[in-house]
Amino acid sequence: MATRIERHHYDVVVIGAGGAGLRAAIEARLAGKKTAIISKSLFGKAHTVMAEGGAAAAMGNVNSRDNWMVHYRDTMRGGKFLNNFRMAELHAKESPSRIWELETYGALFDRTKDGKISQRNFGGHEYPRLAHVGDRTGLELIRTLQQKIVSLQQEDKREFGDYEARIRVFQETTITELLLDGNKVAGAFGYYRESGEFVLFEAPAIVLATGGVGKSYKVTSNSWEYTGDGHALALRSGATLINMEFLQFHPTGMVWPPSVKGILVTESVRGDGGVLKNSTGKRFMFDYVPDVFRKQYAETEEEADRWYTDPDNNRRPPELLPRDEVARAINSEVKAGRGSPAGGVFLDVSTRMSADVIRKRLPSMYHQFKELADVDITKQAMEVGPTCHYVMGGVEVDPDTAAAAGTVQGLFAAGEVSGGMHGSNRLGGNSLSDLLVFGKRAGEHAASYADALTARPKVSTRDLETAVETALAPLERDGGENPYTLQQELQTVMGDLVGIIRRKGELEDSLVRLAELRDRVAKVSATGGRKYNPGWHLALDLRNMLVVSECTAKAALEREESRGGHTREDFPTMRPDWRRVNLVCSLDGDKVRLEHKPVPRMRAELIQLFDRAELAKYLTDEELAEFDALAEEAK
Amino acid sequence: MKEITLRVFRYRPETEAEPTFQEYAVPLRDDWAVLDALNYVKEEIDPTLSYRWSCRMGICGSCGMTVNGDPKLSCGTFLVDHAPGPITVEPLRNFPVIRDLVIEMTDFMQKLGAVQPWIIRDESDDDPHTELLQTPSEMDDYKRYSMCINCMLCYSACPVYGLDSKFIGPAAIALAQRYNLDSRDEGQEERLDVLSDDEGVWGCTFVGECTRACPKGVDPAGAIQRAKLIAANEAVKAFLLPRWVR
Repeated sequence: MATRIERHHYDVVVIGAGGAGLRAAIEARLAGKKTAIISKSLFGKAHTVMAEGGAAAAMGNVNSRDNWMVHYRDTMRGGKFLNNFRMAELHAKESPSRIWELETYGALFDRTKDGKISQRNFGGHEYPRLAHVGDRTGLELIRTLQQKIVSLQQEDKREFGDYEARIRVFQETTITELLLDGNKVAGAFGYYRESGEFVLFEAPAIVLATGGVGKSYKVTSNSWEYTGDGHALALRSGATLINMEFLQFHPTGMVWPPSVKGILVTESVRGDGGVLKNSTGKRFMFDYVPDVFRKQYAETEEEADRWYTDPDNNRRPPELLPRDEVARAINSEVKAGRGSPAGGVFLDVSTRMSADVIRKRLPSMYHQFKELADVDITKQAMEVGPTCHYVMGGVEVDPDTAAAAGTVQGLFAAGEVSGGMHGSNRLGGNSLSDLLVFGKRAGEHAASYADALTARPKVSTRDLETAVETALAPLERDGGENPYTLQQELQTVMGDLVGIIRRKGELEDSLVRLAELRDRVAKVSATGGRKYNPGWHLALDLRNMLVVSECTAKAALEREESRGGHTREDFPTMRPDWRRVNLVCSLDGDKVRLEHKPVPRMRAELIQLFDRAELAKYLTDEELAEFDALAEEAK
Repeated sequence: MKEITLRVFRYRPETEAEPTFQEYAVPLRDDWAVLDALNYVKEEIDPTLSYRWSCRMGICGSCGMTVNGDPKLSCGTFLVDHAPGPITVEPLRNFPVIRDLVIEMTDFMQKLGAVQPWIIRDESDDDPHTELLQTPSEMDDYKRYSMCINCMLCYSACPVYGLDSKFIGPAAIALAQRYNLDSRDEGQEERLDVLSDDEGVWGCTFVGECTRACPKGVDPAGAIQRAKLIAANEAVKAFLLPRWVR
């Protein structure tokens, strides 16, 4: 073969250097495996760095009534009971240990008066539960994990004379294909963004930790890296995706100025007392409390305000409903003509807290608005509206080992790229804890999978040649369309036809438009050479964005109900029979195949953590009868 | 719409022996930062322009550049503040240039490791069941030094680093102080050798450019002064006392 390809051999290759990827890599290295971390951007700049609010962990430091069972219940409620129960259980049980462990690595957290890790309120969490440092928790988390890796490298330097003997970071490197030997993972192929040179990682175990898909939408809190690479790599290697119809539109993104539209305004603003108002000055969220949450939320402003100081005797403000509810409410207010000048609603802390407290509790928000919008949030309300933030859907995994389902072996997934944990809607704060809990598990099980293999899978020359050809195609093709134009069109299709509120006709239309785009993307061309050429990079990312968008559109058309991050105008309510169904996407050649698969059933001791009255809102009659029989047995 | 001229540093080592400047006319919009203008250039005028960016919100530290002579995050530097222009955009100074506005910054990662930026304790617990206690005021002692986003603006501003790249530099020293001042940490002595070296704190001539450049208010210059005090005290002790009582 004429093309030069650099080759590396590892035991475990982790694709993605956000929280999940770094935590997985640490675990694989601690298990003695030779581990590589592949980072699409610079080391330490991954998307996790933008997380603001905190990591949910039921440590009970601020309210001693909190424990893993309460956290579990909140998570299942937030996901409208579509969550993989076992993942939600492991997450609730293991989050506190992952936070304490992070502290031993050196993480700094805000503290209670008696020196414990402080915890803050967040939407959908019954008690203050988010370990945080101001509103820059993601930065602290990524920095701490990054520095832990540096410390492991120093240990290796002492032992082997080489910093990179057992753990090495390949930054600004993009993986375009996973290579298999039969059904077993054999390696990952990609290119260095800087030089455009190709690189092959031969490894028997691969952890996907590539994050989400938000760049398929124009208004998004996500940055350029979020093109669904891991989702697409998984599909193409025979793994399955679940829950792809569920996208989280975070209720509060900046809407003004236009250049920053979509950038996140942390939920901590509401957790710490901020309120949402429409153009008439009304706190409209009181009008949008759905029946399933009626009992847990305040009915008057007075009760809601008392809750901040006396949470035991008052119910929480409706501004703190789960994100899907708040996003839909804002959308409705704007549609009804009660929006702000820039097309959002008002989020106000200026009348709720002193300027000093705002600057201390929300320093990043203060600076963000000051610098980007010239708005002083201690004096003025912010203008906010929904922004595409997170994909609940992702790689279908075994809850205990994070191993991908489907035909492939040796593939693991953790963090946003995996599916199931959050059901139809993720609670704020459950993402940072998710990536620590399942990042660790993925690293551990990838290591033990590699150990158990008797023979190393081999990369075939032919597969490698195909990967090279596919990667070079946009550069060698003349006269195709510009990748930026195609990306903008994709964003328009997804935003207009597969957005917050969905309709049958539009979803059908989106599939036609996506099929057209697929033909055009197959002919995309990039000008320039291979050295640091983002046009070429985007041309390669586009095919990932397309296949993942197709999964989302197909599943959204199929699911004829509204639940969490999937709202159908033509099917506006939740339907218990749909709660039992996961929609599973796989690839058949280059076509997306969609199947129904039953949602795993909760174990008896877990379902009995809920009241019958609450379950009755979600379960079918048949399931309720089973629950009653269980209760009878327990008597 | 009014326009403003960006004078952008271009360097493509595979085809050009020397860097050049290229001018682009971009819309002068009130709400546009330099980064928005560069994205406009890339998407509408010249897709070959290379630069780094990620979060657009001043937290990832990827988009540091020299704007009209000063080290800045390009996502937080507005066109209107430099109107009528032209605005000269160059890579961060004191670093090798890879291409256009993209710099080589792996040197920092080595320096970062040298100051051991993690909690060092005589006895560590691998499977903790609760946290280490630390009061809010103990945390306030070092919190500001923990705000670093590794954007390299302080290294670009530092005249000492410009002359001697062995100087460990502002962000790394601030990070060392972040741990030295952390009540949970017992590793100050281990970090001292690196800090009190010629290329450590004593290299700093205290011009304070780093603190002025920092977009996050970390105050590396203040951290360096505090570290000098500690190093000086330890040096006196080392002179007077045998190692085992230090």
